[in-house]
Amino acid sequence: MSPVTTSARRRLLPYLLVLPGAAWLGVFFVVPLLQLGAASLYDPTGSLSTGYALTWAFGNYPAVLQAYWPQLARSFGYAAAALALALLLGYPLAYAIARKAGRWKNLLLVCVVAPMFTSFLVRTLAWKTILSDHGWLVGLLRDVHLLGPNGRLLATPVAVVLGLTYNFLPLLVLPLYASLERLDHRLLEAAGDLYASGVQTFRRVTLPLSMPGLIAGTLLFFIPATGDYINAELLGSPNEYMVGNVIDSAFLVRLDYPQGAALSFLLMAAILAVVVGYLRRAGTDEVWR
Amino acid sequence: MRQESPAGDLRLANLTKRFGALTAVDDVDLTVPQGSFFALLGPSGCGKTTTLRMVAGLEEPTSGQVLLGDRDITRLRPYQRPVNTVFQSYALFPHLDVAENVAFGLRRRGIRTVDEQVRRMLSLVRLDGHDRRRPAQLSGGQQQRVALARALVNHPQVLLLDEPLGALDLTLRRRMQLELKRIQTEVGITFVHVTHDQEEAMTMADTVAVMNAGRIEQLGAPADSYEFPATAFVATFLGRSNLLAAEAAGRVGADVPVTAHGARFSLPADRARSDRGAVYLGVRPEKLHLAGSADQVPHGHQHLDGVVTDASNVGVSTQYLIRTGWGGELAAFAANNGLGRRFPVGASVLAHWDPRHAFLLPREPGAADRSAGLRDEPTPVSS
Amino acid sequence: MRVPSQPLRRRGLLTGAAALLAAGGTLAGCGTRAATQTETGCRSEDRSTAEQKLTFSNWPQYLDVDESDPAKRPTLDAFVARTGIQVTYTEDINDNNEFLGKVQQQLASCRSIDRDIIVLSDWMAARMIRLGWIQQLDPARIPNVTANLLPSLRDRSFDPQNRLAVPWQAGLAGLAYNGSVTREIRTVDELLTRPDLKGRVTALSEMRDTMGLLLQSNGHDPANFTPAQFDDALAKLKKAVDSGQIRRFTGNDYTPELARGDIAACVAWSGDVIQLSAENEKIRFVSPESGLLLYSDDTLVPNRATHKGHAETLINYYYEPAVAARLAAYVNYICPVRGAQAEMEKIDPELATNPLIFPGEDLLRKATVFMALDERQERAYESRFQQVIGA
Repeated sequence: MSPVTTSARRRLLPYLLVLPGAAWLGVFFVVPLLQLGAASLYDPTGSLSTGYALTWAFGNYPAVLQAYWPQLARSFGYAAAALALALLLGYPLAYAIARKAGRWKNLLLVCVVAPMFTSFLVRTLAWKTILSDHGWLVGLLRDVHLLGPNGRLLATPVAVVLGLTYNFLPLLVLPLYASLERLDHRLLEAAGDLYASGVQTFRRVTLPLSMPGLIAGTLLFFIPATGDYINAELLGSPNEYMVGNVIDSAFLVRLDYPQGAALSFLLMAAILAVVVGYLRRAGTDEVWR
Repeated sequence: MRQESPAGDLRLANLTKRFGALTAVDDVDLTVPQGSFFALLGPSGCGKTTTLRMVAGLEEPTSGQVLLGDRDITRLRPYQRPVNTVFQSYALFPHLDVAENVAFGLRRRGIRTVDEQVRRMLSLVRLDGHDRRRPAQLSGGQQQRVALARALVNHPQVLLLDEPLGALDLTLRRRMQLELKRIQTEVGITFVHVTHDQEEAMTMADTVAVMNAGRIEQLGAPADSYEFPATAFVATFLGRSNLLAAEAAGRVGADVPVTAHGARFSLPADRARSDRGAVYLGVRPEKLHLAGSADQVPHGHQHLDGVVTDASNVGVSTQYLIRTGWGGELAAFAANNGLGRRFPVGASVLAHWDPRHAFLLPREPGAADRSAGLRDEPTPVSS
Repeated sequence: MRVPSQPLRRRGLLTGAAALLAAGGTLAGCGTRAATQTETGCRSEDRSTAEQKLTFSNWPQYLDVDESDPAKRPTLDAFVARTGIQVTYTEDINDNNEFLGKVQQQLASCRSIDRDIIVLSDWMAARMIRLGWIQQLDPARIPNVTANLLPSLRDRSFDPQNRLAVPWQAGLAGLAYNGSVTREIRTVDELLTRPDLKGRVTALSEMRDTMGLLLQSNGHDPANFTPAQFDDALAKLKKAVDSGQIRRFTGNDYTPELARGDIAACVAWSGDVIQLSAENEKIRFVSPESGLLLYSDDTLVPNRATHKGHAETLINYYYEPAVAARLAAYVNYICPVRGAQAEMEKIDPELATNPLIFPGEDLLRKATVFMALDERQERAYESRFQQVIGA
């Protein structure tokens, strides 16, 4: 083989490696995304039978924002609340599995992932039984007066947030576990040796060093939770519907493609803005390489 | 440098640590005088690191005490002890820059203005201007010095160093040894240095404790221990020794006569750790000289016959292996100073020594000769 | 010679991405074409004389199955035996909207969906008819339908000549309650206002059923109403949502909650309630005085289906009273075939008297089929309804 071809190959190699993934993304993500973008600018008076004309109707955006901002805001509110709850549950869990579980580690990991083996829908339906008005949980909460005698959990924001927390918890725990598991225990010893108490060691060493996992987990949790509609649909009431429910209905029930597409794009933009803002703050400097 | 006020020697009293059935540290009793450079020397697995970790508070003793002056610190948490450690892996915080790594301990103790102390400490370890780098951007030697600065800045009463130079290459190691010694002299803090490198221990320490299988075999100034080792282990671990299995039958006047392999020798009684029964007659290789014939052996020296089986020139010296009449092997180092004669392989020689340079050590009955051979590292005694 | 491997260049990647975007933009095109087809524009060929084949797509559990052998379908097997037509039967319809999404592209561009008969709910059937996607049947080839179809299901506005959508099974939308957690309920107004039911009420997310019942409760006719009347009914619904009376809007999934008692009372479908009350007789279906909604699932022959003749033979077969009775005995929905009740007495006399399978004249008089909507109306009403139900 002559040096020239070797050199050309080496120059092309990285592009060749990127090509399959890029082609896949191109065909199954970029093209549909552009189609969706075009659909969001269709003439809103069009219909399935008459067809839709691309009239660059940017007015679709303010229109859906005005009509559905409560659902949009709710999506972010619920996802944030669920994230907070998931962090409270998930960080200690990931920490315990990674650093304290010993030989139970693998079993516990399987337990974390196990719910993922069943369908999302079935899991959420199971929560309906757990949160049932006549179930043991509501009974217990009524007995201890955390709920009034006619209080309930189903069809309340609490149920939706609990459902979101439960369904997406593994997505938070797994990357967190991975980064906590990698954490060098000698660094913790060093911190103790340098006058850091347990709490200080956690704040100054464990927490910052688990940031990569924490950031990955937070994003993996937050993004799908914001776009979710199954939990609101099954565990909530109309007053808990999230933007996903609206998009679902726009595409499947109302057949209002411009609205559905515009709303999808708004959601995407809003999530992107939150993610970028988050990475700006939490990312760059805190995530060490 | 600010001096820590109420002084104190570091004292380990009957310190024992067991891991299950294994006794890692076995009833260790020793005192490290304040301000000294103390080395714990031993092969890996001898319990020296465990001892150090008990002083740091990272390991809890099974029994015994750790005292600092009059204060019992045995049960204190690591962060409550006026003791800092330079870890073997350095354990620098990868998410903090050099200055913040150094300032870590100060900040944890609530000290707000740290810049000046950090700057001075970085200058002490010759890392001026590196304060904004991350540990990953530093070389091994630089990381080592950050680890040192990070511990020293806290002015601990005792600084523990756990094989701090182990990861460095030879040249760097030599340089850092001198550097550490300089810094210790400058700050005057008690240094407890754990190492398996006898040369390192001898270069730096005022006092060396040689550890083997959880026990301290000999404690003393490095030159004293070298010149007159207390046990066969020390004789072979701290430098090399030719040890001939011999029998002694008590003192005769100021001397102790011994028999080895049918030949008779003697040495002054003050060079004997044991003067009866099974003993080792020991001579350091550099104290063993070669002569072509009996008339070349100086008066008063004792000698035995042998044949050169190997001669390797390592520059400063030539290292010979001599096969004795009974099939044993002795090592002899001759300085390449241009004075002595060289012997080729196969030459018949007389190996001789001054009895005042020999020593007598207790021997397990039945144990055979131990040659200084061409080994570099002694075999670890326990795992 | 060793050449170091080159890193990816940002510019190279950006060029690639830009090319992709441009290509995607071209593909995305400029809008969509009209989906409406006409009989002359989209002709279908009937190969029934040449091929003894028929492809039939239906909902799960919507055809009788032999209790001892789930692979046997008695009425369908009998049809195959009698006619020699090989039927490929698939249960691949789970949701009207989802199925529309699946076949929309083909039907909008006059291509075959490889099915000769599909079963869809009446409003979806109406939508497809409106789009010109459905083939006309020959009345001469379906005499049983002409003779036996229940009067209430005849001459519907979207199929005035009964030539496009022939009901497979029908059902009623009314009210239901669980007697073990609440007392009897009789009217829609009770459902929407009774304080003891607060937060324990659901309604159907199917606009026609829920809004139909509300229109009736206001004294209006779901088969013929004005936008103002719709808005009145919607305002009533909104009040119940805002006050927290209505817990949520459901599809079929209300049934387990009604059985558990989480839902005390709801807007419900008769077929579901029959099954629930078989297990718990305290669960009752209620037909409010103001009226009920009658809906049906209809058989349709889509454009480009190539065995319309066989499809007609099969539809006609299922309108024989004896066959219809056997089907109804299994599926428990309202049987749209007159004369099947008499046949049912031979199979299961108890089912023959069940008004939710064979509704009496008085019940059927109270039942209305929701008005056919054109696309603009459908979009307008559906949007307003969806807004109230939260989506």
